[in-house]
Amino acid sequence: MVEQIHKDFRKRDILYSLALWLLSLILPDPQLHYRSEYRLRWRDLFYLLAILLLPLLFSDPHFHHLMVLAGIHGILALGLTLFLGYAGQISLGHAAFFGIGTYTTAILTTRHGWPPFLAFWASGIVASIFAYLIGKPLLKLKGYFLALATLGFGEIFLVLIKESASFTGGVIGIFGIPWFSIAGFVFDTYLKQYYLVWIVLIGLVLFTKNLIRSKVGRAYMAVATTEDATSSVGIHVSRIKLEAFMVGAFYAGLAGSLFACVMSTATPETFSLNLSVLIVMMVILGGMGNLYGPIVGALILTWLIDTLAQYQDYSLPLYGVILILLLIFFPDGLGTRLRVRLIYLISYWGRKKRREKVNL
Amino acid sequence: MELLQIIPQFLISGLTFGAIYGLVALGFVTIARASQIINFAQGEFVMLGGMVTFFFIKSVHLPYLLSAFLAIGVVIGLGFLLHLLVIYPLRKASLPILLLATLGASLFLSSSSALFFGTLPKALPPFSGKDLLEIGGVSFSAQSLFVLIATFFVLFLLYILSHHTHLGKAMEASSTDPLGADLCGISRHLMTFLAFGVSSGIGALAGIFITPLFYVSYHSGTLIGLKGFISAVIGGWGKYGGAILGGFILGVAESLSIAFIPAGYKDGVAFLILLLILYFRPKGILGSPFIDSRRW
Repeated sequence: MVEQIHKDFRKRDILYSLALWLLSLILPDPQLHYRSEYRLRWRDLFYLLAILLLPLLFSDPHFHHLMVLAGIHGILALGLTLFLGYAGQISLGHAAFFGIGTYTTAILTTRHGWPPFLAFWASGIVASIFAYLIGKPLLKLKGYFLALATLGFGEIFLVLIKESASFTGGVIGIFGIPWFSIAGFVFDTYLKQYYLVWIVLIGLVLFTKNLIRSKVGRAYMAVATTEDATSSVGIHVSRIKLEAFMVGAFYAGLAGSLFACVMSTATPETFSLNLSVLIVMMVILGGMGNLYGPIVGALILTWLIDTLAQYQDYSLPLYGVILILLLIFFPDGLGTRLRVRLIYLISYWGRKKRREKVNL
Repeated sequence: MELLQIIPQFLISGLTFGAIYGLVALGFVTIARASQIINFAQGEFVMLGGMVTFFFIKSVHLPYLLSAFLAIGVVIGLGFLLHLLVIYPLRKASLPILLLATLGASLFLSSSSALFFGTLPKALPPFSGKDLLEIGGVSFSAQSLFVLIATFFVLFLLYILSHHTHLGKAMEASSTDPLGADLCGISRHLMTFLAFGVSSGIGALAGIFITPLFYVSYHSGTLIGLKGFISAVIGGWGKYGGAILGGFILGVAESLSIAFIPAGYKDGVAFLILLLILYFRPKGILGSPFIDSRRW
């Protein structure tokens, strides 16, 4: 009897581990930063191939466009995850840096005739300069008040954009931004833009990965845990926060530049509080302190907004409800909870069978 | 010379707006005093107060006063629901999650009110008649006086509640010392629940008072809410008197700013004041019981 149960258990064990291995290919790793060294894992190859092959498998232009948007949101979320997820500070003004990037590219390319490739880097740098100027005084605040102050910055940015019509085109915005081009190669179809955006995203992920694994990244996590202890070890807390803020803003500026080149317009309504909330939501959904999570969050939320758009008037209330439900049921990220729940479900399935057997 | 004649007029309108910001700020402070939560959906309660009153008057044809009271009741119910459905399930969640949840609730309330009541901006008739009062060459509607009186009346009621009743003391205890409150047998969740009711009621009252003064549409709640919050921070986070003082300062500063800079920048002024006050004195003017003076 005992022997039989034991044998049975072993068989099931193989089944579970197979299922878990399959899951581990798909789901992001919530404990990424505990790994000490980096090897190219099967998981990474799987992601890379999926990203490269996906638009070829589904050749729907709307899908391509959606994935371009998701990639841009992914860059934004990746920038914020350094600040919110790793350094543990809240920013509700991240959309403003996105806007700064967009407008820098728009103004440089349409008025001054800069090539988009140069404007791309310039917008990242301009965004991080603004982040330095804003972050220097504001990052002394904590919690709710930091959130409110960054939100205030976002609103002031919107007001300035709308009012200075001669510089930014006011409420109407700037039109006719040229497509992104490198050395004569123009990214003019959704498919080409898809590869542009996602290759930039992959590059930024690799950079972020190295950053997190470096001394600076460890300092971010230390700041998020306890500021007092961190400063007692000799880490300059306010400088670390400012750095994280600036890197996040740099990413947002790059994303904004790509957005300007993809949409070829820059209008102020895009950069409202709703976008900031969306970015924070992506980071929370992906899991705090998780590198791949925010990108998955960006994919899910971009898809969700697109799907909800077909319900027209009901889309915003539905979006609000789904947001709250996601927060209530997955407060520490979709990946973490989903993984735990799936493992529990699989084991429950096994346990149920065994329980029935015992009852017999 | 012309500027000097306009300025008293701006001051009057600034004081009216200030009283409204103060009322909204009182709603924030009530919740903060009971649970240290910041409810970003407070502005939507203001908007809903006006909207629901308008609905009862125009569609159900009820008398003004009755529909105002009904609207306050409905909004208080919504406040209770917000606590039960959003805040209570997230009682153990971290700060950014709570923040986003109230922002999501605010999004839900504003967009669903656009569904129910339409997207057109609405204005109630002023309940003091349309004639203007005039004192010393400065004319203003009697509605402004009503708003001022109502604000101070609410302030007085809240003062009585928090300083002279057992319930108010219990609310404050559950915020300042949660463990102590638990040991005394005070239910913290019940206190937060009640605070949400009181706060949404104040919000609805503010909404009923402002809808005659300017048009209220489904998306104006967010900005009013934010400005109310800003005035609470300016005056001193967590103090009733500070909320009113901050409201007046913000209202007057905003109206006076129209005299000197283009009107489009008006919304930026509030946030500029916020950034300045957060940088130089995060405690607010009257000081705050919840924020220590150490900033870093």
